[in-house]
Amino acid sequence: MAELVLNNIKKSFGDIEVIKGVDLKVSHGEFMVFVGPSGCGKSTMLRMISGLESVTEGSIHIDGADVTHEAPSKRQLAMVFQSYALFPHMTVEQNIGFGLKLAKLPKKEIEEKVAEVARVLKITDLLPRTPRQLSGGQRQRVAIGRSIIRHPKIFLFDEPLSNLDAALRVQMRLEILRLHTRLKTTMVYVTHDQVEAMTLADRIVVFNHGKIEQSGPPIELYNHPANIFVAGFIGAPAMNLIATTLSTDKQGTYIDLDGLRLPFNLKANAVDKMSVTFGIRSEHLEVCTNDSPDFQAQVEIIEDLGSESLLYLQTNFSTEPLTVRVSPENDYRTGQKIGIQVDKSKMHIFDTETGRNMS
Amino acid sequence: MEKENRFWQIVFLSLPMAVFVILIIWPLTSSFYYSFTNWNGFNSDYQYVGFDNFIKILTDKLFYQAAINTSIWMVAAIFLPSLFGLVLALLIDSSVPGGSIFKSIFYLPICLSAVVVGQTWVWIYQPDWGLMNTVIGFIAQEKFNYAWLAKPDTALGSVILAWSWQQTGLSMVIYLAGLTSISEDLIEVCEIEGASTWQRIRLVIFPLLTPATVVVIALSVINSLKGFDILYIMTGGGPFNSSDTLAMHMYNESFKKYLMGYGSAISVVLFLIALTIIRIYFKQLKKVDEIYG
Amino acid sequence: MADIQLPHGTGAPSAKPFNPWPVVIFIILSILAVLFLAPTVGVLFSSIKTTKEIAFGRLWDFPTSVYWGNFADILSNPSVQGYFVNTLLITVPATVISITLGILNGYVFAKLPFRGSGILFLVIISGMFFPPQVILIPLFRLFNGLHLIDTLWSVIFIHIAMGIPICTLLMRNFFATVPNALREAAILEGASEWQVLTKIALPLSLPALAVLVTLQFTWIWNDFLWPLIFIQSDEKRTVMLGIVNLKGQYSVAWGVQGALSLLASLPTLIVFLFFQKYFIKGMTMGAVKG
Repeated sequence: MAELVLNNIKKSFGDIEVIKGVDLKVSHGEFMVFVGPSGCGKSTMLRMISGLESVTEGSIHIDGADVTHEAPSKRQLAMVFQSYALFPHMTVEQNIGFGLKLAKLPKKEIEEKVAEVARVLKITDLLPRTPRQLSGGQRQRVAIGRSIIRHPKIFLFDEPLSNLDAALRVQMRLEILRLHTRLKTTMVYVTHDQVEAMTLADRIVVFNHGKIEQSGPPIELYNHPANIFVAGFIGAPAMNLIATTLSTDKQGTYIDLDGLRLPFNLKANAVDKMSVTFGIRSEHLEVCTNDSPDFQAQVEIIEDLGSESLLYLQTNFSTEPLTVRVSPENDYRTGQKIGIQVDKSKMHIFDTETGRNMS
Repeated sequence: MEKENRFWQIVFLSLPMAVFVILIIWPLTSSFYYSFTNWNGFNSDYQYVGFDNFIKILTDKLFYQAAINTSIWMVAAIFLPSLFGLVLALLIDSSVPGGSIFKSIFYLPICLSAVVVGQTWVWIYQPDWGLMNTVIGFIAQEKFNYAWLAKPDTALGSVILAWSWQQTGLSMVIYLAGLTSISEDLIEVCEIEGASTWQRIRLVIFPLLTPATVVVIALSVINSLKGFDILYIMTGGGPFNSSDTLAMHMYNESFKKYLMGYGSAISVVLFLIALTIIRIYFKQLKKVDEIYG
Repeated sequence: MADIQLPHGTGAPSAKPFNPWPVVIFIILSILAVLFLAPTVGVLFSSIKTTKEIAFGRLWDFPTSVYWGNFADILSNPSVQGYFVNTLLITVPATVISITLGILNGYVFAKLPFRGSGILFLVIISGMFFPPQVILIPLFRLFNGLHLIDTLWSVIFIHIAMGIPICTLLMRNFFATVPNALREAAILEGASEWQVLTKIALPLSLPALAVLVTLQFTWIWNDFLWPLIFIQSDEKRTVMLGIVNLKGQYSVAWGVQGALSLLASLPTLIVFLFFQKYFIKGMTMGAVKG
């Protein structure tokens, strides 16, 4: 268990600054997930924590000790790689015991520890095999085994599930969660998959262009995205985002969607006629059963997902189709005109220029 | 991490780089120095003679002869084995029975030394009982006694044939690897499009063999520039310097006549020729790399 | 020309009439194979015939009896035994050390690049292209000054140096195919760079090592130029110098020369056959993936 503190971290490759000042504190036993599109700097950040990449500016502290210039092996962390990084010429047993062998532990002790780890991960049968003889999921388990055997202070995961097929990914996700529950070790997990982030994290950090866009518990990010980027990135299907203009009159601030007046109580200072983006999640739009809908829309595409269905609607005020979640038992048809009602308590207004959430 | 990397870079590189600098880079630069002296190989008192050695090169008839022979040698020694190798690779790749046996037979000469190859071919060209004259005599049905290596007209060509015999296997192996790396799909596309065999070879296989050709040419250049041993064994540059190359000429001037200063000047010219070839080669390589990755 | 069953012709329509081309190609290849084998067979025949037989023009006839005298002459000749010992004493250490240096270079260029390492790498591998004559005279002077002329050391040193470019090129290209994540995983487990090299990178590069052993052993064993320049006394001669020297000793000793040539070619043939499987694969891999 350990506490990890990142202090104004910056990183440049030549003239290109890829991390532009990151401050973050990861508490004892916390499961922290870094999420963001590819090239956002999340993996670079993880590699700097591990020590494989040097820090251009700022400092990294583990349990209060400054490890910024410490060698990777001295930081007492373990890392699970996307490619598993198992040594192909060693057996599973040798792979798991590699670090202990380098540390010159007695052979007997290594054997016992490897056996214990294998028992916990249910891979005892695999010990004499070589990595090439293993399936993707088995390899992942061996990689995890290699990382837990030395009881590291912090676990680092670099997109560990992205090479697995969908079904296996769900299963391994659960196993990683169980591992965290049992070990209660601090974990930092990098992924580009927001579903993984939502399901695993105690806290999510959303990276974009080398900066933290927002950090917080998954539900907070989902319900209160700090800006357009987080709103669009977290949640599937993505939040409906509609470009429009803000208006102000005596009754207050509002937006006008094709005659529909949606009033807002904004925290931030609003300017009349400023460009804003209106955001609403698909579950906060409802097909209207009475005859006073907020607006009319035409069904363009229906996606039946089994447990629910998604309607993609064409409207007069948005070039992109709006997504609406409906029950799977429905009889909508393509081209049908329906009325939609907006849940007024769940609306978001973003400043289009800065991306900031104003509501 | 950077500090550790620096440490290991120095630890790993220091020994190989020291050897490389002392035994390759330093002698290379000293060659330039000696080319401006009249050192004879023994005495340590030698004089700086300015450009005398290079002026001598300009008036040295044997140098011109050697330069012409070197050009003939290079062109033929690069072109012939590459062409033979390509033809053999195409024939073997057509899935004939016994392909791997043929491959081994054609590759065998590569394992032999220039000395053994040279001596063997001396026997082939031997005027009285050599294979060449025996076969020609058998076909012509009369005794044939031509001394291939002792006649200025045929000496260089005879050595080139021996050289090609030895080097063909190497280009064949590389072309074979190139052929197996061509995707089946492309060949099938040709069949569906109705291309004839010749069209298929000319329009699809040849262009896709470009990376293999790059390697073959590189190895041929490297080997032919070093083609000293076989000439030394078979003709020694003779008769009447008719098979003298720059490398041979340099050896004779330096180690037979002990004109080390002059020999150095020849080696400097040799270096500049090699440098030009390398620069052309790397330029072409860049172009090929852009297309074929 | 239209119907030659050339590369990958397996997908051809089966309705075609009998295709004569595989047979034609087989015959062409067989004739070429006989022509190709002829010189080698010449050496073989000469070694088991008497010089008298050869002089009477019977070298190329199929031998009716085997004459072992040439081999007996060669093997009982103490200088010839010395030639083999000398060549081995040069070839083995020079092969091992040049490959070791290439490994060290190659690892840095593949896994620990630094500013300017790309250019340094190009400088090193361009050493492959230069004819050895370019450095001959200064080296002769250097070794002369160090009293290394007419010792095996001079030949060993120069082969170590001359091997650095090719060994560096092949090892760098091979190490480049070892995933970076393996190195990083090992480092996080507490491995030093030296341990990454010896415990991870090298065990995964055995094919490249097989190629280099074959190449270096063959080149050094077969080399003629450097011993010719640096070695002067008979007891320091290598096998290749010995073959040439034999020619000078007896004016016509074709049978003995053939026997010695055959014996001198055996070590490289054995090394090649031993590593053949890896050699062709590694050769093209190292070369094509430049």
